[in-house]
Amino acid sequence: MLLDTMLMQIKQMKISNLNIYLILLSCLLGGRVQAQRVTGMIYERNETGKKSALVGVNVFWGGTSLGTITDSLGKFDIARSAKTNRLIISYIGYKTDTIKVSAESNFDIIMKPEGQLGEVVVRGTSSQIDRLNPIQTEIITTKALAKAACCNLSESFETNASVSVSLSDGVTGAKQIQFLGLGGQYVQTNVENIPNIRGLGTTFGLNYIPGTWIQSIDIGKGAGSVVNGYESLTGAINVELVKPDAREKLYFNAYINNFGRGEVNFNVNKKLNERWSTGILSHASTLQTRVDNNGDGFLDMPLYTQLNAVNRWQYKSDKMMAQFGVKALYENRLGGQVGFRENMRGTSQAYGFGNTTRRVEFFSKTAKMYQDKPYKGLGFIVNGLNHTSDSYFGFSNYNARQQTLYANLIYQSIIDNTNHKFTTGLSYLLDDYNETYKDIHRMRTESVPGAFFEYTYNYLDKLTLVAGIRADAHNLFGAFVTPRLHLRWQPFEHTTLRVSAGRGQRTPNALAENYGYLVSQRWVRFVDELRPEVSWNYGASLTQTFHLFEKHWDVILDYYRTDFQNQLVADTDHADDLAAHLYFYNLKGKSFSNSFQAELNGLLSKRTEIKLAYRLFDVWQTMGQPVNDVRLMARMMIPRDRVLFNIGYTLPYDKWKADLTVQWNGKARINDPLQSLEATLDKKSMPILYSQPYTNVNAQVSRAFRKFEVYLGGENLLNFKQPNPIINAQDPFGKYFDAGQVWGPIVGRMVYAGIRIKVKD
Amino acid sequence: MKQLTIVLALLLGVVFSTTASKPGKEKEVKIKTSAVCDMCKERIEKNLTLSKGVSEAVLNLDDKVVTIKYNPKKTDEAALRKVITDTGYDADSQMCSKTAHDKLPECCQKGNDAHGHH
Repeated sequence: MLLDTMLMQIKQMKISNLNIYLILLSCLLGGRVQAQRVTGMIYERNETGKKSALVGVNVFWGGTSLGTITDSLGKFDIARSAKTNRLIISYIGYKTDTIKVSAESNFDIIMKPEGQLGEVVVRGTSSQIDRLNPIQTEIITTKALAKAACCNLSESFETNASVSVSLSDGVTGAKQIQFLGLGGQYVQTNVENIPNIRGLGTTFGLNYIPGTWIQSIDIGKGAGSVVNGYESLTGAINVELVKPDAREKLYFNAYINNFGRGEVNFNVNKKLNERWSTGILSHASTLQTRVDNNGDGFLDMPLYTQLNAVNRWQYKSDKMMAQFGVKALYENRLGGQVGFRENMRGTSQAYGFGNTTRRVEFFSKTAKMYQDKPYKGLGFIVNGLNHTSDSYFGFSNYNARQQTLYANLIYQSIIDNTNHKFTTGLSYLLDDYNETYKDIHRMRTESVPGAFFEYTYNYLDKLTLVAGIRADAHNLFGAFVTPRLHLRWQPFEHTTLRVSAGRGQRTPNALAENYGYLVSQRWVRFVDELRPEVSWNYGASLTQTFHLFEKHWDVILDYYRTDFQNQLVADTDHADDLAAHLYFYNLKGKSFSNSFQAELNGLLSKRTEIKLAYRLFDVWQTMGQPVNDVRLMARMMIPRDRVLFNIGYTLPYDKWKADLTVQWNGKARINDPLQSLEATLDKKSMPILYSQPYTNVNAQVSRAFRKFEVYLGGENLLNFKQPNPIINAQDPFGKYFDAGQVWGPIVGRMVYAGIRIKVKD
Repeated sequence: MKQLTIVLALLLGVVFSTTASKPGKEKEVKIKTSAVCDMCKERIEKNLTLSKGVSEAVLNLDDKVVTIKYNPKKTDEAALRKVITDTGYDADSQMCSKTAHDKLPECCQKGNDAHGHH
């Protein structure tokens, strides 16, 4: 063996800007006579420095469909191409390499694993489309997160065109996502792949993840992967938190705004030894200033205090990776009329709102790795939580408790080679809800064992097909099957096409998801026994990259449709002389959402980044069943049109950063109990009312020094305020009081400043 | 609207005042360092860039030379060299600060060649 190799030299070289190391074995004889074939071996180097062969690595000639894969010994053999000398080596989980092949015909290649996000300084544009992901995924990096310095997950989407966040009402401060024309409850929001913002957490959950804890956010549009469950009806948002082994040892952040909201965040990460590390992420914030800028007698935002922390332990070795931790949260809110004090609760002295939330969570993730088979893995995730939320709205009390246990066992491997991968496993979900609103008691225990299988086919870098199916046995609603399909096709280097289709199912939590409507004197009635919400989502997208004046630009076009087979309808359109109503019932008829988005982003100059996006929502729902006035109506609070413009300027190493975002929101359907009443009395159809369009402008400047960074910014700089956000504010104990018809900002211009101190190694 | 114009003008003003102060007065210096890897490159470039008077610092890992553009009115070569040594690296013949060097991750310390770093 050794004799015939006759190596002249082993040269270690670094190819262009790809961080892959290639050992080139040039054969003494081969150098004279050019072989017709190119052969070689592909390895990876494990942590002990040993080389091990990689099986199923894609090896192909750039720009052609001429390719092969490595066999079980890591060997490849490919005919030379007449068109190109660029040989591309790609393997999932490893950095793609390009080799210029000249006379040599035998290569030994060592691939380098893809670095963990955060270890690598992410350069380039701050929001990116993951090109290789079969699911259309936008990634919000730490860089983009810093554009909106404040404060938690609900404010992290400011520069993202796909997700918008709005207030759910004029009193509680709760915020809701809008995504593909539908509410946040239809997006599966995961924290590190564990479903997190769901159930009772839907109400205020976006406020429970502080911005400084977030490392990155992935936004997957359309049906998600079956691996994480069946609840992603319109998409999946995954939030990655800062890891205990992050390079930032200490991170301190303090923030204050002109209304007196103050925040401190403190993260500590410590590597204990080679294998163990631990981290604490903590947060405290408060607002204790009573602000009523629009003079309607109600606080524009509630007073609140939040304490929130997570402690995580991480173990990493060649064979195993484990992490576990606990999260704890306490939040207290107080809102309503300016003169309201907590001791006036239950009296008619003033209308008050209060909420106390306590949430405790534990989580554990264990993964077994197979050193010689990097494509193979076994993982186990467990998560348990206890969430209590006690609220009052005037005289109405709403007490709720949720207990959840979630477990997911995942096995991943290949069939023959890494072009055919599969992920399979078993899951279990236990949800226990106990809610009381006035005299309505709702209890529900869901127990859902499930199994899933997902097959992924890769053809070079050109085509990826993911076909997944899962079966779940629901104790209340019976067994059901969730099929999902994703296809990514890259016909040309700069063009990526994606299509997806899939089913989603979830059990609605009517009160927690429509919390804002409870800040009213509406009569709440459950007309039907609620069934699970079931939808099919279909989508297609095109990503085209081009170069203009040597700068990189992306155009993204996408269209998604969600068709509901069943949906919870929350109907606030009706009022009579007894009361204004809030009806909950199952959909009978059509309900669908069409979402179209066009986005252009790129670099105007080396330091100036720009984004322009337009989004159209066309969302309809069959409503009016309880009053026999059945009609297809535009979904409430969803603006049909939205335009987003963002421009950012950055000096190297963020010495100076400036950022400006302009959002224009079109009109949305709203209603008004007084006008509903009038229509009922006049025996007319319910009136169709619309909000007015408005523009929101945010800007921020930051300056980095060697040890710290300071920022100054403003939100809602045009000082737009929704006129009369609270209907009948002067008579909050009257029949037609309603604070749930909020579509725009209430508080007006806000200016903030803050400091970030980071200690890295 | 008027207030918005003021805010925007302020923002733009801040940005341009930092970029406009360059032309003509700027000096360039090349300093050889003991950087070994991409992490070192980032660390040195960052500390230099964020130091007073520096507008740009680019380190070439092939020859380990960092090219610094700076405003001579605000800083000088000695100060720049001190930034590098305080970061834990040699600056030409000037030795690195030992305490800073020992705090660097093992892969970035002297005696490690580039490919030893993960």
